[in-house]
Amino acid sequence: MTLVAPSPDPEVRRSGRAAQRRSWRDRHHDALWAALLLLPTVVAIAATRILPALEAVRSSLFHSLPGGLRPAEFVGLDNYVTLLSTEAFRDTLVRTVVFNLVINPLQIGIALLVAVLFVQRLHLRGLWRTLVFVPCTIPIVGSSIAWGAALGPDGPVNALLAAVGLAPQPFLTSADQALACIILIASWIGIGYWMMFLIAGLQEIPAEYYEAAKLDRAGPIRTFFSITLPLLRRPLLFVLVADTVANFVLFVPVQMLTGGGPESSTSLLMFDAYRTTFGYGSRNLGAAEVVILTVIMLVIVALQFRLLREDKGAR
Amino acid sequence: MSTVVDAAVGGATRSRGRGRRLALTVVAAAVGLAFILPAVWILVGSLRPTEDIFASLSPLSWSLFVPEQITFANYVNLFTGAGFGRALLNSVVVCVSTVVFGVVMCALAAYALSVLRFRGRGIVFVVVVVSFMVPFETIAIPLAGLFTDWQLDNTFLGLVLPGLGNGLAIFNLRQHFLGIPPSLREAAVVDGASEFRILTQIYLPLSGSALVNSALLIFLGQWTAYLWPLLITTDLDMFVAPISLARTFSEHAFDFGQNFAGAVLLSLVPAILMFVLQRFFTRSIAETGSK
Repeated sequence: MTLVAPSPDPEVRRSGRAAQRRSWRDRHHDALWAALLLLPTVVAIAATRILPALEAVRSSLFHSLPGGLRPAEFVGLDNYVTLLSTEAFRDTLVRTVVFNLVINPLQIGIALLVAVLFVQRLHLRGLWRTLVFVPCTIPIVGSSIAWGAALGPDGPVNALLAAVGLAPQPFLTSADQALACIILIASWIGIGYWMMFLIAGLQEIPAEYYEAAKLDRAGPIRTFFSITLPLLRRPLLFVLVADTVANFVLFVPVQMLTGGGPESSTSLLMFDAYRTTFGYGSRNLGAAEVVILTVIMLVIVALQFRLLREDKGAR
Repeated sequence: MSTVVDAAVGGATRSRGRGRRLALTVVAAAVGLAFILPAVWILVGSLRPTEDIFASLSPLSWSLFVPEQITFANYVNLFTGAGFGRALLNSVVVCVSTVVFGVVMCALAAYALSVLRFRGRGIVFVVVVVSFMVPFETIAIPLAGLFTDWQLDNTFLGLVLPGLGNGLAIFNLRQHFLGIPPSLREAAVVDGASEFRILTQIYLPLSGSALVNSALLIFLGQWTAYLWPLLITTDLDMFVAPISLARTFSEHAFDFGQNFAGAVLLSLVPAILMFVLQRFFTRSIAETGSK
C-alpha cells in the first residue's frame, strides 16, 4: 500500500487527461470488438429477416407473370388495391382478425385458470403440470395428424359423442365447424405452453399478499381479482402478445388438415399468402399479403413495447 | 409460518384444508387427463395394428387406450417405407449444425451487447428483439424466393441459415451475461486479456444453464420447423422428418398406425431432451416471463 498523500494539482490534471485518452481508446477498442463479435449475427439477421421483408415490399409493388417471360412491371400499389377489392381476401383478413380475437383470450384465459389451479397445494402437482405441458412438446405436424384422425368420421371424438347419445359431427369437413376445430387443436398445444409462463409469474407474487388477503377474509374470487390479476399484469401481457403473434402465423394444421377449406372457412392470412404465392403462382400478390401480415405483426409488437413501458412507469 | 397458522386455527380448518386439497387435486387430475389422453391415444395407436386403432372405438371402452396386442410393425414400416429414415437423419444433421454454429454466434453477439459500449448498440439490440418477436414464418415466403434465387434451395445450408441468428437465444444469453459481476471482466482487462479470452474463459464457464437453454431453443426451433423446409426442399433426399411425415400422412392417410409412429418418434426427441434439461428450461421460462 502506498501512502496517501494530497496529490498536487498538475498531476491530477495529467492523470485526468490520461483517463480521457484511455476512454477514447477504450471506445474504439469496444467498437472494434463489437463489430467483430456481432458481424455473424448481424449478417444472419439482415439476410434472413430484414432483406426478405424489404424484398416483399419491393415485390408487392411490381407485376410479373409466372415464368418471367416478361420483365416485371412497376405498378405502385395496384396489388394492394387488387387484394382489398377481392371479396375473398377481405373475408380472409376479417376471418384472421376474428380468429385471433377468439383464440387468444380463450387460450390465455384457460392457461391462466389452469396455472392458478396448478399453484395451489395439490397432491402430485408436478405430474398434472407435466400432463398439460406434454402436448406442446409434440411437433405440430404430429399433433395435426393425431387430431385429423381423432376428429374423423370414425374417430374417437365422434365415438365419444355417440356414447353419450349425440349425433356424429362432420368437424373438419364442415364449413361451420372446421375453424373451431383448428382453434381446438392450436389450444390443445398452446395452453400448456403459456401456462408455464403464467405459473412462473404466479410464483413471483410474494406470499405475504395472499396472507394479508386471508387475514382480511377475502374469498378466492376477490383475491384473484384484487391480487393475482393486477400483480400478474406483465407476464399476462407478455403471453397475450406472444400468443397473438404466434396465432397470426398459424399454418401447419390448416395446410395439413383443411387446405383452407371447406369453402375457405379456414383460410387464414398466413395460409392464404402461401397459397397465393405457390398454389396460384402470384408471387407479387403473395408478397403484398406478406407485407400486410408483417405490418400487423410490427404494430402488435410496438403496442406491447408501449404498454410494457407505460406499465413500468406506473409502478 | 403456515404450520404455525395451521396449529393455531385448530383441527376443523385443518381437515377442511385437507378436503379442499383433495378436491382441487381431483380437478387438477381431470384437467391433466383431458390434455394427455389424445397423446396417449397416439402412443397406443402407434403400437397397435392400424385396423385396431378404429376398431377399438365402438363400443367405447378402455380398449381405446389399452392395446390388446403390442406390435412394432408401424415403426418398422416407417423406416422401410418412404424415406423416413433418411429424413430423420437430415433433421439430425440440420439441428446439430444449427445448434453448434447458432450457439457460438449468439454467445458472441450477446457478449458484445451486454458488456461492450459502442455507438449503435441500442439499435442492434432493438433489431435483435424485434427479430424474435415477429415470428420467422411472417417473412419465410419472400425469403424462400431469395434463397431459391441464391440457389440455396435443397441444400443443408439453406435449411440451417435461418435458424442461426436466434434473437431469443441472444436475448436470454445477454440477460445472463448482465448478471455476471463486471469487476471480473475489469480485472481481466487490467491483466491484458482480450475480449475473446474474457468471453471464453470467464463468461462462458459461468453460463452453463443459459447456454444449454439457448441450444435447446435453437434445437427445438429446427426440429419442429415445417413451413421453411416445406418452402425450400422439393428434393426427396433433402426432406426433413416433419415434411416426410406430413407427406406420408397425405399419401397414406389411412395408415394411421405408421403416421402415429412417426409422430411419436418426432415427439420423443424433444420430450427426452426437455426431461433431461428440465432444470434449465423452466428457469429460462421464469426469466423470460418476468422481463
